[in-house]
Amino acid sequence: MKKITLLMMSLLMAFSMTACGNSDKKETSSDAASSESDLSYIKDKGTLVVGITDFEPMDYKDSNGEWIGFDADMATAFAESLGVKVEFVEIDWDNKIMELDGKTIDCVWNGMTLVDEVVNSMECSNAYCNNAQIVVVPADKADLYQDVDSLSDLTFAVEAGSAGEEQANALGLNYTAVKAQADAVMEVAAGTSDAAIIDSLMAAAMVGEGTSYADLTYTIGLNSEKYGVGFRKGSDLAAALNDFFASSYADGSMQECAEKYGVQAAIIAQ
Amino acid sequence: MEQILEQLPIVIKSLNIGFLQTLKLFFVTLIGAFPLGLIIAFGSMSRFKPLSYFTKIIVWIVRGTPLMIQLLIIYYFPGLVLHNPIWGGGETGRFLAAAVSFILNYACYFSEIYRGGIQGVPAGQEEAGLVLGMTKSQIFFKVTLLQMIKRIVPPMSNEIITLVKDTSLARIIALQEIIWAGQAFMKGSQGISGAIWPLFFTAVYYLIFNGILTVLLGRLEKKLSYFK
Repeated sequence: MKKITLLMMSLLMAFSMTACGNSDKKETSSDAASSESDLSYIKDKGTLVVGITDFEPMDYKDSNGEWIGFDADMATAFAESLGVKVEFVEIDWDNKIMELDGKTIDCVWNGMTLVDEVVNSMECSNAYCNNAQIVVVPADKADLYQDVDSLSDLTFAVEAGSAGEEQANALGLNYTAVKAQADAVMEVAAGTSDAAIIDSLMAAAMVGEGTSYADLTYTIGLNSEKYGVGFRKGSDLAAALNDFFASSYADGSMQECAEKYGVQAAIIAQ
Repeated sequence: MEQILEQLPIVIKSLNIGFLQTLKLFFVTLIGAFPLGLIIAFGSMSRFKPLSYFTKIIVWIVRGTPLMIQLLIIYYFPGLVLHNPIWGGGETGRFLAAAVSFILNYACYFSEIYRGGIQGVPAGQEEAGLVLGMTKSQIFFKVTLLQMIKRIVPPMSNEIITLVKDTSLARIIALQEIIWAGQAFMKGSQGISGAIWPLFFTAVYYLIFNGILTVLLGRLEKKLSYFK
C-alpha cells in the first residue's frame, strides 16, 4: 500500500513538473515569434518549406513527379524572388497549424480558405483567389436541390474544420464531419450521406464524367470566400508575399500563371 | 472497368512507392524493437526496485496511450515546445520520427511477451543450472533463451502481423505510406482524380504480405517444436 501511494505521488510530481515546464516555454515562444524575423530565418536556412496537399489545380504532381499548379508555381517564383530554394512537403491538413508552429514547414500555400480558424492562428497574406463552397448531390436528384431552402431535410457530409463545415453550421444543416473533402464525396457516392459541401475548385476536378463519381454533380454555391497563404503568427513573410503578389499582378505574371491552370476567372486584383 | 485498366499502371507505380515506405517502416521497427524489448523486459524483471518501477511506468505510459498520439507527440513536440524542430519537415525526418515512435511502442509490447516467455521456463531449470555451477548469463543463453523463443513465437506472430497494418497510422504525420498513396487519387494526383478504388486496392498489398509472413512464421514455429 505504501509503495502504491509513493508511486502515485511521484507520478503526480512528474506530471505537475512537465505541466509547469510547458507553460513556461509557451510564453517564451510567443515572445520569440514576434521579436525574431521569419524572413531572415528563411534566408539563413536557404529554403522555403511549403506545406501542401495534393490538390489539383493548385498543387499537384506532373508525370515526372514535380510539383506544379497555380500555387506551386507562384510559391516557386516567390522563393526565387527571396533568393532561396523552395521545398514542397505534403502534410496532413488537420495538422497544418502544428506543422507551422513546430517549424517543420514555413508556410501553408494550398488553396487555403481564409476562415476564422486560419486567420486567428496564422499570419495570412492578402487574398489572391476567389472560391465558393458548393453542394454535391447525386446527378439524378440535382433538380430538386437548386436553392438553400430545399437542403434542410438532407444529411450532409463535410470535412472537419473546413469552410464547408462552417457553412453547414451557419445554415443549421444536419451533417457529419469526416476526415477530408474526398471522404465527404465518397459518403455521397456510398449513399451514407445525401449530399456534401466542398470547394468549387475541387468539385470541378473530382466529380462528373471521367471520375469514379460520374453520377454525382454539384448544384448551388452557398457563399463566396477567398484563398490566402498562411505563415507563422507574427511572421514578416506575409508582408513580403503581399509585395510579391502586388508586383507579379502588376507585370501580369500572376495572370499568366493562372491561365496556365484555368483559374484566371478566380484571381483577385492585388 | 476500361478506365480502371487505363489508370492501373499509374496507380500501381504510386502504390508500390507507398508500400516500399510501409515495408521500410515495418522492418526498421522490428530490427529496433526486438533488442529494445528484451532490454525493457530485463528492466521490468530487475530486482533493483527503482529500475523495475521506472520501466513499468514507461511500459504503462506507452501501452496506455494511442500510438497515434505518440506519433504526434514525438514528431511535433521538439518544434512546438522545445523550439528545436530536430526532425525537419522533409520526408526523412518524418520517417525517423515514425520509426522512433513505432520502435518504442512495439518494444514495450514485445517486452511483456519476452517476460512471459522467460518466466514461463520452469524455475527448476535455473536451479539445476546453479547446482551445476553455471553463471547467470550462461543459464540465460544456454538454457532459457531458446525455450523462451519457442514459447513467444505465437504471440510475437500476432504482434508482427498487427504491426504491418499499424504502419498506416504514420500517415497522421504525413509519412507517405501506401494508404496515403491510395487516398491521393481520391482528390486527384498525376492526372487521376476522384478515383476511390486505389484506396481499397491497397488491402491487396497487406493481404499478400501478411500471407507470406504467416507462412514464414508458421514454419519457424514448426522448426522450434522439438522443445516440449
